[in-house]
Amino acid sequence: MDRFVFLTFDGLSRGAVYAAFALALVLIWRAARIVNFAQGAMAVATAYVGYSVADATGSYWLGFLVAVVAGLLLGAGVERVVMRFVDHSSPLNGVVVALGLVLIIQGVLGMIYGNEFRPAEAPLSRDAFEIGGIALLSRYDLFVFGAVGAVVVLLTLLFTRTPTGLRMRAAAFAPDVSRLLGVPVGGMLTLGWALAAGVGSLAGMLVIPTELGLHPTAMDIVFISAFTAAVLGGLDSPIGAVLGGLLVGLLLSYISGYLGATVAPMAVLALLVIVLLSRPDGLFARSKARTA
Amino acid sequence: MSTEGLSLHHITVRFGGLLALDDVSLRVPPGRVVGIIGPNGAGKTTLFNVISGFVAPEKGSMTLDGKPFRARPHQLTGHGIARTLQGVGQFDGMTVLDNVQVGPRSEAEAWAALERCGVAEHARNFPKALPYAKRKRVELARALAARPRILMLDEPAGGLDTDEIRWLADLIRETECTVLLVEHHMELVMSVCDEILVLDFGKPIALGTPGEIRSNEKVAEAYLGAAA
Repeated sequence: MDRFVFLTFDGLSRGAVYAAFALALVLIWRAARIVNFAQGAMAVATAYVGYSVADATGSYWLGFLVAVVAGLLLGAGVERVVMRFVDHSSPLNGVVVALGLVLIIQGVLGMIYGNEFRPAEAPLSRDAFEIGGIALLSRYDLFVFGAVGAVVVLLTLLFTRTPTGLRMRAAAFAPDVSRLLGVPVGGMLTLGWALAAGVGSLAGMLVIPTELGLHPTAMDIVFISAFTAAVLGGLDSPIGAVLGGLLVGLLLSYISGYLGATVAPMAVLALLVIVLLSRPDGLFARSKARTA
Repeated sequence: MSTEGLSLHHITVRFGGLLALDDVSLRVPPGRVVGIIGPNGAGKTTLFNVISGFVAPEKGSMTLDGKPFRARPHQLTGHGIARTLQGVGQFDGMTVLDNVQVGPRSEAEAWAALERCGVAEHARNFPKALPYAKRKRVELARALAARPRILMLDEPAGGLDTDEIRWLADLIRETECTVLLVEHHMELVMSVCDEILVLDFGKPIALGTPGEIRSNEKVAEAYLGAAA
């Protein structure tokens, strides 16, 4: 029982990061109908920037802030310089360009920082508190929950309570109608990419200290887990992304704990295949009316 | 208020081998209701798309208050022009109030427009839950919320019953905006327009008051003849 409780809390903590990363994927999907396969590589790039600043200044928190800001700028830049010029008549075009970006970013990071794992320390203790002899959560887990929770609340407020959020939603629903109403659709798209990449960078900074460290491909497995979470929740559903992230985190934690860590990546891929075959619109999507 | 209004000079649009608009000129003075009619495929919506900035003309120019005018779609409201679309073109995942508030509008402007169009009671509903006629009213409210000086209505009477069309006619007559009206419902067009442009295969074949258009032989032949 102790082990089950520990694995549950560990899974929720990890799942919170997947949730944030899945949320980043959903933001771009809703805005541009592109699965941003470069999200992981972009997050690693900004994590390198963040840890470089942290090393230079001795302040992890300054590095953390710089990584998130770098994510915002990188996302905006990728949209303005690359994605805006992609022919979106076929959804595959955006995917191919995103995969190309992965190769470029990982190659450039390898050239600049090398291809060895660099240690990335967590800013807070990862030793779990014990209550009644059961290890529950560490300070770092609490920080992860707080950071992801704050992002979810802020994004919810942005999209439901502000004119900018309203326009971003409108631009995603119907770009031409939005333009007629005076919405600068291109600007909204840039903002969507910036926010998504900023959230992705935050997720990267949160998860890298719990992995082997910094490496150009450090986010590949995390990306697959987060993508599975986004598909599980439904690519159109921010709430689905959060719940999907938590479910994938729990699943991975239980499988790692009871069957061994080497089985976990296969389990994620199996889950992805099962969801795509059985409910490709996600667990939380409304059923579509029959049209024939 | 300026006395110049919107003017179109020799607008020509070609889609590949199809001449969609052929040397169309039109002057829309402030405060007037100008109708654009013609059979299907005559180029009415294309003309709206040129004014809206969705289609660039091959030849011709436009002026607004005497100054050269070529708006991009998202700048249209900034020039004081609002446009409705054929159908209803709403954001189904957003409430009626949110639909009307999209763009640079205050909540007060949105509520005033909803009140004026008689759909304020549905502000918190989703458009999909409303009958078609109410959705058309929401579409009008969204355009009016921008407080335009030129209102472009693209087939606003489509799918409406007699009572709704009567309400629409009253709204058009009472509005202080200049109105550009593309419409197939002849009774509505003849009853509200000060001037009517008739297009046929992209070519202007008549321009005049409703009385003049009614008695124009070319128009009767090309368009009204079938209904007469």
